Amino acid sequence: MVCHDTTDTYKKTPTAAGMPDPAVDLVAVAKKVGKPTRKTCGDCHMSGGGGDGVKHADMSPQLYYPGRSCDVHMGGYDMQCHDCHKTQNHRIWGRSSSVAVAEGSRSCEDCHTASPHYGQQLLDYHLNKHTEHLLCTTCHAPLYSKCQPTKMLWDWSTAGDKERVVEKDKYGLELYDPRKGDFVWKESAKPEYAWTTGLTKRVLLGDPVNLEGETNLTEPVGYFNDPKSRIAPYKVMRGIQMADAQHGYLIVPHLFPRDKDDPTAYWKHFDWQKSFTAGMQAAGFPYSGEYTWVKTNMYWKLNHEIMPKENALSCAQCHDSLKDEKACLRCHQENKEVNFKELARKGTDFETMAAKGRDVVDLIGATDYIDFKKLGYKGDPIIHGGRFKTLPLGFVPVEEEQ
Amino acid sequence: MNRKFVMAGVVVLFLALPSLAAITAQHVDPIPTKESFVPEDMIKARERAAIVPELVTEVREESLYQRRKTLLEKGVGIQDVKHTFMLLDSPIIKAEHEDFYEPVRFMHGKHISVVDGDCSKCHHLRPTDPELSETVACSACHQKAFDPERPERIGLKAAYHIQCMTCHEEMKKGPVDCLGCHSRNAPDHEELVKLRPDPEPWDVTAECLRCHEKQGEDMLRSAHWLWRGPSPYTVERTKEVMSGKATNAVNNF
Repeated sequence: MVCHDTTDTYKKTPTAAGMPDPAVDLVAVAKKVGKPTRKTCGDCHMSGGGGDGVKHADMSPQLYYPGRSCDVHMGGYDMQCHDCHKTQNHRIWGRSSSVAVAEGSRSCEDCHTASPHYGQQLLDYHLNKHTEHLLCTTCHAPLYSKCQPTKMLWDWSTAGDKERVVEKDKYGLELYDPRKGDFVWKESAKPEYAWTTGLTKRVLLGDPVNLEGETNLTEPVGYFNDPKSRIAPYKVMRGIQMADAQHGYLIVPHLFPRDKDDPTAYWKHFDWQKSFTAGMQAAGFPYSGEYTWVKTNMYWKLNHEIMPKENALSCAQCHDSLKDEKACLRCHQENKEVNFKELARKGTDFETMAAKGRDVVDLIGATDYIDFKKLGYKGDPIIHGGRFKTLPLGFVPVEEEQ
Repeated sequence: MNRKFVMAGVVVLFLALPSLAAITAQHVDPIPTKESFVPEDMIKARERAAIVPELVTEVREESLYQRRKTLLEKGVGIQDVKHTFMLLDSPIIKAEHEDFYEPVRFMHGKHISVVDGDCSKCHHLRPTDPELSETVACSACHQKAFDPERPERIGLKAAYHIQCMTCHEEMKKGPVDCLGCHSRNAPDHEELVKLRPDPEPWDVTAECLRCHEKQGEDMLRSAHWLWRGPSPYTVERTKEVMSGKATNAVNNF
């Protein structure tokens, strides 16, 4: 019923091991069962990680009833989760960066095809060429956690200080919790970009982690010079968490008390040793008794919060060379009918978003948005050449002339 | 005492100027509610779907080849698409048939794109009346099924199905099964559910399983129940079937 409730009244009690809240009118809920909604799926998936919008970058309870500019599919077209995440025999298509298990996959192209810009205009031609090198979300999800901040960093090593005065950030969110440690929050965050083949490299329980440096718990697998790899946007969740100093793998802590007599739960006793010993015993891995704190990163691929086409990244927001029309004229003849400059600048308007209260002031006027050099290019591909070819016409890059 | 006074002042200010409170709590929007939700594209599509156009009585008989040629000569193509999204939810069909399925979400723009701008693929005839558009809606010609006045015309429901499924088959693209285009409406369970007042949670589960035994079996084998399953997209573990939160997942939150 938690999945098929349409009355929005079904609730579970956190301590009742999955049983419904006694206050729920079960007969009324049962008589009104229907298809799942953004709310029924979202109650678990949009509040994951211990609170609203905590771990998922591109999903928060804002998506129960979002505005069009927050997510065009859900807010404009009222699409429910299962409209994309098709289901066969209760196995639901879709995959997440956070866990390895997947019972199917969905992509934008399944509906929109590999030539998703339907017009026959100049821009449509160029945009459709882009789909060889990047996922739709690279341009159409230029920001994540647009209406509600998400956690960017979680430092478990500082947990336990019950005396500390808890400060709040500019969003009014707490920066510390004695049970959990320090946090950093961000609303309307700019993604990091990486190549992906669609596969993920993961650290699973028992796998070695780097005790001195950093470890990517999940990271996309992709290569600059692989034609099958494309650029995708990611939230990178940074953490400082517990690892076994002898065995060199991550520790599973026991946090939530099973009942009021629980002798080991951290959120009751604030004793890491007890918590680690119990947690690892339950997980079935030996614990040496010696722990350390390690830096970890998780790459979360962004798939939701798709902006309407008017708000996708403009050409010039990535291609510095298109800020004036000179670069277009390398191939195109000058034409009074076409305003190249205007075409290249039509897209995400950070200034208006900032005026509406979004935390994007630092992005106004940004260019090289996806950071070409970090992705392996020599610079803007219009000037320096793409992955597999260079533009046949036009000028030699300015740097080379000098 | 001073401090108390200042605090009282702040409260009064916020009461007097609620908009100021909204500005100071910047960058966090309130969680929207069902009541305030306006999915504008869907609402407009629903409004358009409710319109039943006046029936076109006379059509110009011409071959598909001629039709295509005419449209090409007149320059009718992708740029003429008025609505890229349509909801196929005509009252014509709902009046004649039982409403077992949800409306189809039809991506008009995408479809005209995949047929390379050939509007004649669907708009296969035009009204004789020169005032009417080259590309009238399906429901302008196809309305009632088995209309004795126009036995040569198939009804709207048949027209949709034949047009969509034939083309999907020919192009080897797009769904040809029922659920590929429209999912089933959930039936009203008001009378179907038989429960004693104030049941135990497991009584409700048993009542669901009375009819949905197979779905219950399916659920028990799903990743959402087991919290583990295949990991086909994780390198070095593409063949494994026991990955998941129940077994070996780690995270940093």
